[in-house]
Amino acid sequence: MNVQLDTALLVGLMVGVAVWLILHRGFVRILFGFLLLSNAVNLGILAVSGDPSNRAAPVVDAAGGAAMVDPLPQALILTAIVIGFGVLAYLVFLFYRLFVDNDTADLETLAEAPDAAPERKEDSR
Amino acid sequence: MNNAPVLPLLLPFLTGVAGLLFARPGRWRRVGFGVSAVVQLAVALGLIVATAGGGRLVLAPGGWGAALGIVFVVDLLAAIMLALAALTALACTAFAFASRPAAREHPLQLPLLQFLLVGISLAFVTGDLFNLFVAFEVMLIASYALLTLESDNRNVRHAWSYLAINLVGSAVFLLGCGLAYGWLGTLNFAELSVRLAAAGGDPRVVLLGLILLVVFAVKAGLFPLYYWLPDSYPILPGSMAAFYAGMLTKVGVYVLLRVFVTVFPPGTPWIGELLAWGAGATMVLGVLGAVSRDRVQHILAYHILSQIGFMVLAIGFGTPLAIAAAILYIMHHIVVKAALFLVGGAIQHRCGHDRLDAAGGLMRAAPWLAAGFLLQALSLAGLPPLSGFWGKYLIIVEGLQLGEWVLVGASVVASVLTLVSMLKIWLAWFWRPAPEEAPRSVPPGARAMSATVCALAALSLGIGFGAEGVFRLAREAAAQAMDRAGYVAAVRAVVPASADAANTAEVAAEGGAR
Repeated sequence: MNVQLDTALLVGLMVGVAVWLILHRGFVRILFGFLLLSNAVNLGILAVSGDPSNRAAPVVDAAGGAAMVDPLPQALILTAIVIGFGVLAYLVFLFYRLFVDNDTADLETLAEAPDAAPERKEDSR
Repeated sequence: MNNAPVLPLLLPFLTGVAGLLFARPGRWRRVGFGVSAVVQLAVALGLIVATAGGGRLVLAPGGWGAALGIVFVVDLLAAIMLALAALTALACTAFAFASRPAAREHPLQLPLLQFLLVGISLAFVTGDLFNLFVAFEVMLIASYALLTLESDNRNVRHAWSYLAINLVGSAVFLLGCGLAYGWLGTLNFAELSVRLAAAGGDPRVVLLGLILLVVFAVKAGLFPLYYWLPDSYPILPGSMAAFYAGMLTKVGVYVLLRVFVTVFPPGTPWIGELLAWGAGATMVLGVLGAVSRDRVQHILAYHILSQIGFMVLAIGFGTPLAIAAAILYIMHHIVVKAALFLVGGAIQHRCGHDRLDAAGGLMRAAPWLAAGFLLQALSLAGLPPLSGFWGKYLIIVEGLQLGEWVLVGASVVASVLTLVSMLKIWLAWFWRPAPEEAPRSVPPGARAMSATVCALAALSLGIGFGAEGVFRLAREAAAQAMDRAGYVAAVRAVVPASADAANTAEVAAEGGAR
């Protein structure tokens, strides 16, 4: 595994910025943090697995494909992007609902709000 | 090629899709969901019978010649978990039916439960690390949706902690998959186990193990990554909370078993110790959380953690007897925990709340519910001869043989405190007379709810009294799970060792050069 140092540093930087953003209180920054985190991870997979000099591509025969990039990590990333998109769409929706219901876009205000009155009958809707 | 391993995925998927197509709630739709749940249970029991003789069912859809495609492997452990999932789903579906008339059912609730089952079943049958990631995501997306589906405006914020921790967990898991593929050139469990063993004392084995350990510890709710669980589970309606409590964290425990028993070479440094001590801390802190709460569902949610501690402690010990004990404990726990959450749901249904301060009189008003609760609560605390006793007994015996006095002490303390907090619920809700303002009328469906709880209680009694037979099954499952050579051979019989065998040699050489 010959990972170039610059890619590794870039992934590290992206994860660092993502964590910094996620630790904020505002919904929008947290959202961008998670966006950046999923991209950083995808780049990480590409960096550790995408080096053509390491091994032959597994699907074509070695003679013709020695210089090809292994396609499997790209398939993994594609899957991960699709899944990440779905989950982030849910996250956006949840934030929107929290904003509409509680009239705040700030986690701390949200956490300080009192719980609902406990007399909530199950399935009473 | 035997196609049976795909059935546990296909059945809930088709049921879920059919439930979306026929979205109008009604009696016939319920019949369909009920029949499907029974069929799923029958299929899972059939898989147990098929694998109990020692055979593993392996299916490689797509027919790739090398170990790069998706592989489904059902061994006895996976079959047992599938059966437990189907059973819990059946009980929770029945309870959901009882909790309200068909016309008032949320049209998405039961289809989402089925999609949740797809993810859970996929996690049980998959033989591939990346596919496991996909299984987790399927499961999580369905569980996010179900969690917020019917929560009210104030409670919906508790979904945030669940979502946040799982988003981070997924990112770490994905990175772990990438690192594993980049280093070892495969994601197939069987090939991974061969190559990890060949890598020997390479520090990257431990590193990969630690990354995966963090991810699965989040799923299982292990200390210090558990705060999301008692926060989010109580916002669910009772029937769904029981399913979450019974199955979701146990998926994490199952994956810990699968990955650290079958895939990683035994004796990988750090892993066993971290699991055991994390489990010890989880046990005690979870039960302390339970003692401090004053609502039924909150107390029970903290108990999930404490019980997870017992299972993971056994996995951390890692001896054949301890693994068998862990499997026995999982079987007992899923039934008992689901039943207790159903009791909590039934209390909410009957009285409109589950606080301990304005409670009482249920022993007179609902004797069957009380009997079911008492049996399950004592079983959870581990009183002989109920089902919880045997798992705890075996784990403690194994701990004593290994000389882990502190961990054994922690588990005994946790058991006593479990009894204390269960008695708190018992005294508040069942034993003492009803408060003046309590509603006298019995809401419809309360009898059916008690019947569901009692059916699960009877099953748990069966596990307790038939412990010998159940333990024999658990021991065989443990032997299969620990038989790494047999696992590899079974997978390779369907998926031949990949053409890039040179890669294995390269990894071995690389490991040797270090």
